[in-house]
Parts: sequence; C-alpha cells; structure tokens
Amino acid sequence: MVEMGHFALVLALVLSLVQSLVPLYGAYKGDAKLMAVGGPVTVTGFAMIALSFAVLTLAYVQSDFSLVNVWENSHSLKPMIYKFTGTWGNHEGSMLLWVMILSFFGALVAAFGSNLPATLRANVLAVQGWIGTAFLLFILITSNPFTRLIPAPIEGKDLNPILQDIGLAVHPPLLYLGYVGFSVCFSFAVAALIEGRIDAAWARWVRPWTLAAWVFLTGGIAMGSYWAYYELGWGGFWFWDPVENASFMPWLAGTALLHSAIVMEKRSALKIWTLLLAILTFSLSLLGTFLVRSGVLTSVHAFASDPSRGVFILGILTVFIGGSLALFALRASSLTAGGIFHPISREGALVLNNLFLTTATATVLIGTLYPLVVEALFGEKISVGEPFFNLTFGPLMMPLLVLVPFGPLLAWKRGDVAAVAQRLMFAFGAALLVVLVTFLFIDGASVFAALGAGLATWLVLGALTDLALKAGIGNVAPKVALRRFLGLPRSVFGTALAHLGLGLTLLGIVGVLSFEKEAILVMKPGQVLEIASHRLRFEGLQPVRGPNFTEDQGRFSLLGPAGQPVAEIVSAKRFYPVRQMPTTEAGIKTLWLSQLYISLGDEANDGAVVVRVWWKPLVTLIWGGTLVMMAGGFVSLMDRRLRVGAPAKRKSADKKPSPVAT
Amino acid sequence: MEAASYLGAMLFWVIAAVLTLGASLAVLLPLARQAEGEADTSHDLEVYRDQLTELDKDAARGLIAPSEAEQARAEIARRIIKLDAESGSKAKSASPLAPRLVGVVAVLAIPVLTWSIYTAIGSPDVPSQPLKARLEQKPADSSVDELIARAEAHLIANPSDGRGWDVLAPIYQRMGRADDAVTAYRNAIRLEGSTAARQSGLGEAIAGVSGGIVTSEASVAFEAALKLEPANPKARYFLGLALAQEGKVAEAAIAWRQLAESLPADSPWRSVAEQAVAQAEAPGAPANQAAGAPGPNQSDIDAAASMSSGDRTAMIEGMVATLDEKLRQNPRDPEGWLRLVRSYQVLGKTELAQEALGRAYEALGRDSEDGRKLTELAGSLGLKVTE
Repeated sequence: MVEMGHFALVLALVLSLVQSLVPLYGAYKGDAKLMAVGGPVTVTGFAMIALSFAVLTLAYVQSDFSLVNVWENSHSLKPMIYKFTGTWGNHEGSMLLWVMILSFFGALVAAFGSNLPATLRANVLAVQGWIGTAFLLFILITSNPFTRLIPAPIEGKDLNPILQDIGLAVHPPLLYLGYVGFSVCFSFAVAALIEGRIDAAWARWVRPWTLAAWVFLTGGIAMGSYWAYYELGWGGFWFWDPVENASFMPWLAGTALLHSAIVMEKRSALKIWTLLLAILTFSLSLLGTFLVRSGVLTSVHAFASDPSRGVFILGILTVFIGGSLALFALRASSLTAGGIFHPISREGALVLNNLFLTTATATVLIGTLYPLVVEALFGEKISVGEPFFNLTFGPLMMPLLVLVPFGPLLAWKRGDVAAVAQRLMFAFGAALLVVLVTFLFIDGASVFAALGAGLATWLVLGALTDLALKAGIGNVAPKVALRRFLGLPRSVFGTALAHLGLGLTLLGIVGVLSFEKEAILVMKPGQVLEIASHRLRFEGLQPVRGPNFTEDQGRFSLLGPAGQPVAEIVSAKRFYPVRQMPTTEAGIKTLWLSQLYISLGDEANDGAVVVRVWWKPLVTLIWGGTLVMMAGGFVSLMDRRLRVGAPAKRKSADKKPSPVAT
Repeated sequence: MEAASYLGAMLFWVIAAVLTLGASLAVLLPLARQAEGEADTSHDLEVYRDQLTELDKDAARGLIAPSEAEQARAEIARRIIKLDAESGSKAKSASPLAPRLVGVVAVLAIPVLTWSIYTAIGSPDVPSQPLKARLEQKPADSSVDELIARAEAHLIANPSDGRGWDVLAPIYQRMGRADDAVTAYRNAIRLEGSTAARQSGLGEAIAGVSGGIVTSEASVAFEAALKLEPANPKARYFLGLALAQEGKVAEAAIAWRQLAESLPADSPWRSVAEQAVAQAEAPGAPANQAAGAPGPNQSDIDAAASMSSGDRTAMIEGMVATLDEKLRQNPRDPEGWLRLVRSYQVLGKTELAQEALGRAYEALGRDSEDGRKLTELAGSLGLKVTE
C-alpha cells in the first residue's frame, strides 16, 4: 500500500498546519480548549509520519521499483540490512527521517508535558508545528519519496556502495536525533519570547532536551568519524570537511548551551544568553541541513544536489533564523535577568566556557563559509582546510581544556581559585610527570605530543579528583567516603564522566597524530612486513563474490614472536558493477587500544599488490572517549532532579508558599 | 487481476477515510472536552521551592559558602514574592465565538485540505508492485522486462540450465545488452554444445560489445559457425563486414555478392547482403558505413541506462526518427520496416505506426514474404491491416 504512505504524509502536513496555528491562537486568547488541541494533534501527526516512513521502508524491503526513490537507490540483490537502511541513504528518505524525528520529539513534549504551564506548552507545540510544516512542505514539493514510476523498471540503480555499510544504520539516525533534538530547545526559546517571560520551569525543561540531543549528536558525529575512518581507506578520523563542520558547529554550540542551562536552572542567571544560545544552536543545525542538502558542498554526502531544494531550504533557514532573532531583539529587553554572581565562581567558570565554545563555533563557521562566500563573490575556488583549523581552533581549545577541571570544583556565587588549584595539585603533578616522561623517553622531537599527553592526563585526573573530593576520599573514613560517593547526585557523575571522556578522546588524537607509523610497499605473497614491532605476512590475493559486488581479498597473518600466525587480517578492494564503483574495505585489527590498519592499492604483476599499512596507537580512544562522554550525558539525564523534571501536578495542589528564607 | 486491483483501490480509500477520521477526532475531542483551568504560578512556585531545597543540599556539601547561600536564599525569596504579585494581575478575556469558529475551521480543514492536496499529487489507483509478486504473476500479465528478470533469477539459481541461457541470449542481443548476450551465448555453448546458430550469435554479440566492429575474437566465433554450417548466412555476412572494416571493401563486396546469390529470394539476409554490396560499391563509401543494420552502439545503450525516463524516451524517439529517415531514402529494408512499425507502436504512436505500415507495404509489396511478416507483426500489435 505505497499510496497509503503518501496519503498519511499529506495528512501529517495538514495536521502540523493545525498544530502551528490553533494552540498559538488559543494561548493568545487564553482559551484552554484550543490550547488543548496541540497535544493530540502533535501525537497524531507523529503517528501519520511514522506510518508513512514504515510504508517507505516496506517498499525498500520489497524492492518496489514503482517508486522513483526506490528505483534510484536500491537493488534487488542488495543484502536485506542495506535495503532497510537504504530507506534513509538518500535525500528524500533522509528528509522523511528528519521530519519523523522532529514530530517524535514534538509528540514527547505533548505526552510528557502535562506539568508544563498550559500556555508555554501550547506555544512550544505550535513552534514545533511551524518547523514541521516547513519541512513537510519541503518534502512534498521538492523531494517527495512517493513519486511513482510507471511502468516500473525491473531492477534498481543500487545504493552508493560507500553507504552500503552498517554505519548507515547508525550514523544518520543518531545525528538527526541530535540535530532535531535541539529543535525542542529552540521551540521553548521562541515560546518564551512569544510569551514575553521565562518561566522558572523553563530551564528545567530545556536542560534534559539539551542533554539528550547532545548525547545523540555526540554519538552521531563519533559514528560518522569512525565510519569515514574505516571506509574511506586511508585511516583519517576527521577531515575538517564542511559537512563534518556542519555537524560540529551545533555540537559546540549545544555544549555551550548545556553548560549555560545549568547556571540558569540552578541560579536563574544567564536567562537571556541561554535563550539566545538555544536559538543559535538549532539555527546551526538548520544551517547544517542546508549545507548538506542543498548541494552547495560536494562531499561524501553529495547524494542530494539540487539547486531548487537548496533555495527552498535557504528560505526555511532565513525565515526561522531571521524570525527568531528578530523576535529575540524585540523581546529580550523585557526579560528579567536573574541571580547575581562573582566573576570567580562556578557561574563565572561556565560563562568562560561559553565564551570559548561560542568563539570556537564562530571560528568553524568562518572556516566553513568563507570558501563559499569567496566562490560566490569572486568565482574563485579556495579551500580552507586543516591548517586553518589547526591554527585557530586548536589554540582556542587549549586554554579551555586547561580550565575544564577547575569548573566543577569552584563554589557557586563566589569561588576560591587558590583553594581549587591546591586541590588539583595531584592531577597537575601527574600531568607534569606524563609530559616529562613522554618528552624524555618516547619522543623528544615533538613538544606537541608531550604537552598533548599531559593535557589529556590533566583532564582525566581532574575529573577523577572532582569525584574523589566530593566523596571526601582521604578526609573521612573509607566507609563514609564510599557511602558519600554512592550518594552523590548523578549529575556529578555525569559531569565527571563527560570531562573524563574528553580527556580520553584528546589522548587518542594526540596518540595518532604523534606516534602513527605508516608503510607503503609492494608485497608479494609470503613477504613479511615489520611495522611498530608487529610482523605481518601477506598470504595472497583471492577473488570473492558477494551478493552485489565482487572483491579481491588480501589476506594477512599477524605473526607471533615465534613466527606463528596469531591472527588473520583481511583487507579488500570491492567493485560494485551496477554503479561501476570501487570501494576499499580496510583490514583492521585492534590490539588493546591501538589498531593495525591495512588498505590495498593497485595490483602489480605476479600476485604482488601495493599495500599501505598504518600502526595507529591509541586510536580507539578517540571514539571510546566519545562513548564515555555519551555515558556521562546519559547518567546526567538519569539524575533525580531531571527525572522529576518540572514539578509534578499533584504537588501543585498545595498552593501555600512554603516558609521562605527566614 | 482486475478484481484484485479494484478491491485494492477500495481498500485504499477505506483506510484513507479511517485515517482522516482519526486525525479529525484528534482536533475534535480536545475541543469537546471540558478544559480544566489552573493558575500559572503554581509551576513556578514549585521550581523555586525545589531551588531552595537544593541550595540547602549544596550548602551542606560545601558547594556554596554559607554567606553566599544566605544571599541566594534571599534572591529566591524575592522571586517568590514577585510571583505572588503577578498572579493576581492576569485576567482572561476571550469572546466565546472566535475560538469556537477556529475549532470548526480546524476540524473541517483536515479532510478538505488533505483530500484536495492528495488527489492533486498522489496516484491513488497505482497499486504497489513488490518485486517478488511481480516475478510470480502469470507470464501473460508480465512485461518483457519482467520475463527476462524472471529468467535471470532462474538462471542465478540454476546456472547450469543451458536451455535457459540459449533462450535468453538472442533476447539480450535484441535488447542491446551485448555484454549479457556474450555471457549467455558462452554459457549456452558450454552447456548445450556448439551449433552454428550459437556461434554466429556469439560473434554478433562480441561485435556488439565493441561497438559494431567485428574483432578477431568475433571472427573466430563466426568461423567456428561456418565450420559447423558452411552456408550460415549471418556468419558469412559478418565475415564480409570484417573484411570491409579492414579496408578490403572489394573483397567484402565479392563475399556479400556470393552470399546474396546463394540465398533464396525470401531470406532476410539476402536483402541485407544486397544492400551491403550496393553500399560497398557506391563510390567513396567509407568502410564502416557498410554495416548492414546500424543499430545503437554500446555507448548509446549505456547512456540510455543512466538517463531519466524522460531523457530516455527522447533518445529512443531520436533513434526511431533516424531509422524513419533512412527508410525513406532506402525503403528496401524489411527488417528496418519491422523495427520501425514495432517501435512506433511501443512508443504509443499508433498513427505513425499505421502510416509506416502503409509505406512498408508500398515498398516491399503486400504479398511478398516480407509483406506477410509485416502483416503478422501488425496483427500482433493490434494495427489495422486492411487497406
């Protein structure tokens, strides 16, 4: 029932139109019934889009080539998992996924928002409705996945082979959950501006959304990075590719938002700034969508190049960013500022964090957009690559990373830096030791390596120090310390884990950048290569036939000390005949935290083949660290305070103010 | 089939109606329900109270200095007092008519807008076409493409079915899928043994792969065919073509003339050979123009495969127009006429097909062998054969 999906999508558009207008009008008029329409309409709209998405997925699974979208991006011989994930491995399907996640978040607000003030809830849902309407219109007008093709061809044109990977199952959904999660923060911000006041509950509500979105975005970016690492065949993990930057900017801004929301929640300070950050973060998500979807950029993600779509998204971008910022300019002055704090305090540290992160965001934004502007104005193609970011982004991040361990240790309102520094002496000493050891014994040539390793140690130990101090380890009896440790709020663990993960990622990056070994040579079967004290024997090439590809598998044996093979590594060159495209399948062997990475080049005569081998020390920490960061965000999300969220309804029956500040 | 699709369409409209109803109810029900009013300030109060308890906890843990905690408490207290002042000032004034009107419009908008947009952009009468179901339907209901896909699926499962390859090979060749034709002929020869027809077909397919050039590999196949059947006209014709392409046009003309003379008048190859002779002997004829039945070459086919359906139709129409023009200048080409009539009919241009049929009868004679073939084709295509 392909047409059922199409119908449901149109129905979802009309529902989201109702969602955009009726609750808003209700909130304006103070009509409770009209405001109450928002919830059910939002949930129904999500059900319709989910139905539509399920229908499209079924069409992919069943290879229904009477859909242009399926014909262009699928093939009947493709393994089932890629038929399934291929649903969003193309422009139309991925936009549908985008909108489905958007409406899913809207439905969550509707379902769990019963303890929000009615007008705030109505306005938030209306703003979500605007975004939904805009993107549903975009899909139906420029990128309809349900366009039919009659007579239906008997075979499809296959999915881009690079996308035929398990990464496609994980990377886009996670990334979109992150991008779109920030839409809720945006809706809350715009709703507050519409009302002209920020409820105290506002930050309570925004923080878990920010956290959830941040966790998903972190996962999405990390997954994308690992995918590029093993699929593109030369072992890079970050390319400063504009599309990567497009996802990195909302991450930086979202990280800033995460921190400023803490201040707002705990101290009711930084209200206006937090509001602005919420708007900016989602604006950057929209900008990312525009950059990737418009075809302005050419990259791995270039399955979506179409100028008319670009103009449409640019329109959406202008209306939403321009509109929300204009509203902000109009209303911000009427918002009241909150609590007062001393510059040296937890609040002050968080403001500093925000300053660094927003500046870093601006740097990445400039580096990403500058080439586009230059090309548009002067017709000159320039590329702003790694050197630019190394010179600007790197130095900006260094002081921030140095300051990270101080933040959680500073007291609220007024802190004492000297006391905190004293408490961090152990971490500092250990970091210094690592710097010296690295410099003297491992690599005397690279100051960067030594300082980087030291900084990473500083971050990891700083996070652990925070936990140890809060539990009172060393000051009280071990038994008491253990009880206090277990009794710490989960948000404390969350903070420590996230900062610790940051240190681990940094350690991985430093490890790979400084100590990586590379070898390129022509290998004959039986030949042995030694790299970073690992011995690899090339066993030969062997043709293998896959379901929709053919490949030449190069088999390698990792040799033990006595020359016996202890592990096999397979690296392959694939060829996908339908698209006439080759891909590389790197052979990767993880040895503790490091990896051996083998990539095959051209074949020479007599069975010899060009082989590139990398030894990548500590490389897994790059992504392992992000997993720890995600765990931190997740633990923080589980905090009792956030679980309760805004105050429960039954409590609000008791209207007497409690005895206050006597 | 008919009944099933009718039922399918009915089912679609029924489900669509149910979905629309559900969506309308989502708007209607909250409007009908009694709304519960609630003071806005209770939420804020609760938050401030929470902030106070947390402040106490932070102070106990030493996260905030006692004097600062006292100040913070005062700040929160001030907010609570302000809140109480605000709560009285809010009054709701709404004319009862306008909201009700908005509700009615919203409920009505859902079915009206949805159905008008959907009927404008949707294709409600086009059923789903899952590949598996398409390959399992009755052969009579299948298109040529579907039949081929089915045969391919069968051969993937039973790659040693020589008869299957044998049937598929000439079909591939006719569709311009020369690469696949080569594979199919090779498999047929391997499994079913070498015959003149298979060898000459293989040669033709190999020539198709290399864009109409009779390569030495193709020649080997044609010679193998001649060994099995010395009179095989296809092999003889193409070996002549090979000579012409090498620049030995005179020798080619001799070979073709011998071929033409040895064939009965009603053989399709006779006219092809005669035409080739005529072209070869025309003054200044370049060697490669001597190709008897110029069809699209491989790069054209590849281009067609990667085009959108609109572009592809345009390309096919262009090729048909070229063929038409050629037949106007040189009407003695029975295969060309058959191709032209069939092409027009496939493109849905029945009038042009009918007109081409008339011109073909004029050129070839209605009662000749070619004429009878034309009549047969016209009958199968549903064209009028009476004058």
